[in-house]
Amino acid sequence: MTTPQSLNFGDNPVRTKANRLRRVLRRRPEGRAFALLGVVAVAALIFEPLVFTAYPVTLSRVALVGLVALGLTVVILMGELDLSVASTVVLAGVVMAQMPNIPLGILAALATGVVVGLVNAFFVVKVGINSFIATLGMLFVLKGLAVVISSSKPIPLDNITFAVKFGLPLVGALTPRILIFVVAFVLLHVFLTRVRAGREAFAVGGNRQAARDAGIPVNRRLVTGFVMCGVVAAGAGAIDTLERTAADPTAASTVLLSSFAAAIIGGVALTGGRGSVLGTLIGALSLGTLEVALTLTGVQVDIQQIFIGGVLLLAVMTDPASLRAASSSIRTFMQGLRARSTDRELTPPNTLPS
Amino acid sequence: MTRLAESPGTAVSTAPAQTEPDQASTAARILLWTAERGIVVFTLLLVLASVVFIDGFASPVNITDVFHRAAPIGIVAVGMTFVVISGNYLDLSVVAQVATGAVILIGVSNSHGIPLAILTAVVVACLYGLVNGIAVGYFKANAVIVTLATTYVGLGLLRWLSGGSIYFGPKNGVIANVGDIKLGPVPISAIVLIVMAIILGFVLSRTTFGFLVRAFGANNESTRLSGVNTPHVVLGAFLITALAAMVAGFVLAAFSNTAVSTMSDGYDFRALAAIILGGTSVFGGRGSVLRTVLGVVFVSVLTNVLVLSNIGYGWQQVAIGTLIVLAVSVDALARRMSKK
Repeated sequence: MTTPQSLNFGDNPVRTKANRLRRVLRRRPEGRAFALLGVVAVAALIFEPLVFTAYPVTLSRVALVGLVALGLTVVILMGELDLSVASTVVLAGVVMAQMPNIPLGILAALATGVVVGLVNAFFVVKVGINSFIATLGMLFVLKGLAVVISSSKPIPLDNITFAVKFGLPLVGALTPRILIFVVAFVLLHVFLTRVRAGREAFAVGGNRQAARDAGIPVNRRLVTGFVMCGVVAAGAGAIDTLERTAADPTAASTVLLSSFAAAIIGGVALTGGRGSVLGTLIGALSLGTLEVALTLTGVQVDIQQIFIGGVLLLAVMTDPASLRAASSSIRTFMQGLRARSTDRELTPPNTLPS
Repeated sequence: MTRLAESPGTAVSTAPAQTEPDQASTAARILLWTAERGIVVFTLLLVLASVVFIDGFASPVNITDVFHRAAPIGIVAVGMTFVVISGNYLDLSVVAQVATGAVILIGVSNSHGIPLAILTAVVVACLYGLVNGIAVGYFKANAVIVTLATTYVGLGLLRWLSGGSIYFGPKNGVIANVGDIKLGPVPISAIVLIVMAIILGFVLSRTTFGFLVRAFGANNESTRLSGVNTPHVVLGAFLITALAAMVAGFVLAAFSNTAVSTMSDGYDFRALAAIILGGTSVFGGRGSVLRTVLGVVFVSVLTNVLVLSNIGYGWQQVAIGTLIVLAVSVDALARRMSKK
């Protein structure tokens, strides 16, 4: 009902530069992400230029959160949420460390992601529960399972030499993790803009009933979305485990916050149907740069959390739909005030029936 | 509101179409009964079974312990019932709110006395309620994401300002003495829970505000169209949750006479589990404070039984997470089938 639409018939026939800029901004959801990236980059240049000279560090930080956020983008575009991503990251890592060798481990981790995605999709599609609650329940189930499997101790990988090699730069200064992130970004971008199933995700999120009426297999698309999100999160868990050379059941505590923040700052609307992986990429870049800049200037982890939480809060509140809702609430409020004062003027005390 | 309209829509093609109308309605009636009244039976059965089968469950020490653990979660859950009934899913930031309340009570009263501590805590709780309520009510932002953000901001601020240290109240101080009051095996924390439940139950079921919260949860658009200032209602629900969470923090701090920023970990989902298992619908509009109290009893007894049977924290999380999903599934299936 309140889906943001870029189509605005009967709107501004006047073609001024300001109007055109406004139209472009309205059509592209990535505006806020670019703005934040600009602010962060300028601030980092002034206060801590080390962020750019140590760009491999920055990039690998971006890749950690960004990968999860990319998978999340597909689900959010369909108008659903997956709160279980952070637990999937942890569980996939723990499952991987249980396996005898690394290729088998990676396979097992990805399989975990598929299973998690299927279970989430089952509850959302077949049972018809709201995805917030279904995936919130899964968040605790998966976290609990990770604790049970690992007995809440870090599990070291058997083949540490391979894992150590994985953390080293492969091409130039780029580690395999960054390359995988870039590949995932390109694949998801192509999927969402060039593949039919991907483009239909926007329709599923924009207006589900219309999508169903248009013959789009909505349920199958939802399953695809949740499975993709699960697999990407599990892949991120596998990469993380390889880089740490151990699976840590208590790691990834801020992944949930940061990955949602990256997607939402990137302009992916929580109501579905609007957003892009490019936006998520830029959101993740700006957040990662912010985190590295804060770390390098010696700011404590607690204050970094405050910053990221604040940015997320600001991002949800400056969403176009939210701003529209707020301005209409304020208008109603003002109308109420005005009505009350005119009431008083219209009925002076001496005309009141006694 | 889009989401409210969507959730039955997702179901259309998947509902069992071939069942006989008679059978379907029987199944629907059973499911609906389970979703609506099942908690009473399940709680009774669970309590009876644990008294009979679990060694040491019925001992006074253990019962006091159950009360102690149930009370803060219960107070949080009773307050959060307002947010859930208003159709805003949940308030994740109660974790930060409870810890903040506890740390302020002990920390500030150590240096500036108890009245100022309580005043500070009330101001901070109102701030939490205002930020969450304005973002969700006026900006119509998603409650899960907003409260996720305020959780991290709040916990970050608390850890930064408190340095992550543990605060101890003075031995035999007022707070410690109040926290030790007991009536038989019933500690004062449980009495606070009962008082809070009575007050908030009255507010929810007998006042105009409570009626508006339920009306907004049942159908936000028609409530708005009938001239209600709906953002105010949402704001009120979040304020009540924040104040209840603060009281829970006080209870938690008084009971142990210590306060630390990590002491309320997991309260968000235990409270949500209690609310949902009690039969308050996550789709909004239906539910009551009494149901939440029953849900709290259920969750607390279950956790206690798991602990007494030497089942670890991991399995407890798995169990309660599964119960949340199952309870919501029953509710969703019952709604869909009774609509047919």
